[in-house]
Amino acid sequence: MKTRIIAKLDVKPPYVVKPVHFEGLRKIGKPAELAKKYYEQGADEIMYIDIVASLYQREILFDEIEKTANELFIPFGVGGGVKTIEDCSKLFHKGADKVAMNTYAVQENPDIINQAAEIFGNQAVVVNIEAKKWDNWYECYTDCGRIQSQKDVVSWAQEVEQRGAGEILLQCVDSDGRQRGFDLELAKEVVQSVRIPVVVSSGAGKLEDIKELIEYARPSGVAIASLLHYDKVTIKEVKEYLRANGIEVSK
Amino acid sequence: MSQIIGVVNYGIAGNIHSIKKAIEKAGGNVQIINHKDDFTNVSKIVIPGVGSFKDAMQELHNDDLLNTLRKEIQVKPTLGICLGMQILSTLGFEYGKTEGLDALKAEVKPMIVDAKVPHVGFNKIDVVNNNKLLKGLEAEEFYFMHSYEVVNYTDIISLTDYAGHKFVSSIQKENIYGVQFHPEKSREAGIKLFKNFIEL
Repeated sequence: MKTRIIAKLDVKPPYVVKPVHFEGLRKIGKPAELAKKYYEQGADEIMYIDIVASLYQREILFDEIEKTANELFIPFGVGGGVKTIEDCSKLFHKGADKVAMNTYAVQENPDIINQAAEIFGNQAVVVNIEAKKWDNWYECYTDCGRIQSQKDVVSWAQEVEQRGAGEILLQCVDSDGRQRGFDLELAKEVVQSVRIPVVVSSGAGKLEDIKELIEYARPSGVAIASLLHYDKVTIKEVKEYLRANGIEVSK
Repeated sequence: MSQIIGVVNYGIAGNIHSIKKAIEKAGGNVQIINHKDDFTNVSKIVIPGVGSFKDAMQELHNDDLLNTLRKEIQVKPTLGICLGMQILSTLGFEYGKTEGLDALKAEVKPMIVDAKVPHVGFNKIDVVNNNKLLKGLEAEEFYFMHSYEVVNYTDIISLTDYAGHKFVSSIQKENIYGVQFHPEKSREAGIKLFKNFIEL
């Protein structure tokens, strides 16, 4: 099975930004331009997360999303501030292939996952989990790593699978943006606890980190942000490196 | 004569935007089909697919497209994509048992495989019957994103291997084609497939 290599854009419209620990934003560029750049480098997917929509409780900015989708002939996932079936529908019409949900599903209405899966199909529903490590458990955070939920990450992962989610995007509040490697135990635990694909994010600082994650936790995909944004490597280089190390990736 | 490809827009669940863009990139003209009268102008039909089998059939019915679509696909070259391929079948089993368009003698069932489901990502196709749609694409990878598969034994044109499980990745019966993958999400290989479809 080929591990998917996904470019993740954390967007604070109109810019892609890169927070460290989900804070301290730095502007990187325009989403449409970066998405196109990563597409041309050979990304398997682009994941676009509006990181402030839930936090500021504002509407999803659809124009920016449509502009980004226009540049792509690969799957395009979109998340951030999704609250209704109508939001999902509008996102699909603007060019999204998957919709990622977190805050609203965790804090207010997990049934949105069931409803979305029934209408749009499981494969189109991604649940974004922001995990925070405590002594002997991981807690789901929301609103871009700001708000606690008391929900255990592994039980929530299993619950969203039951509810019909087709994929989990696993982010880690502690390691996001630090480029010091992934939380391997977290990744392995979540991958093994569900049958649906898990895409792991937060932590890639060098090529070895990605290889180590894939070999240890066997995620379906790896989402990379900082490493690409700062031009430390290209997607093409990531794939060549993984292939040379015996890990299957797409062309 | 320039031909127009009709992309069926049913209800809230289609990803018509991506498909329209990819067909245009391949050099085709697109008309979005919102109403049964829109079929008159088009020479070929694309049925997109994001959604569930049950919902798709319900939406086609609600939008009063179902009967016309059934007739149109008998005579015009048609390409079903992902769920659009699945609903060409006789029966679907996603969220209960639902009747499909019945253009293919096939049923749509959950993938039973010892690996993660949905099957998501780029994968190869193994062309088992030469055909115009997949011409020149034998060595390419395409993007898959599905939990259900079409079960058919007579009209297969390509198979795909997922964790040791072989399933139908493309199908053809006369003028009707279906692909389980998403050509509109499969880089240049997908654009080439649309070119082949336009040139049929």
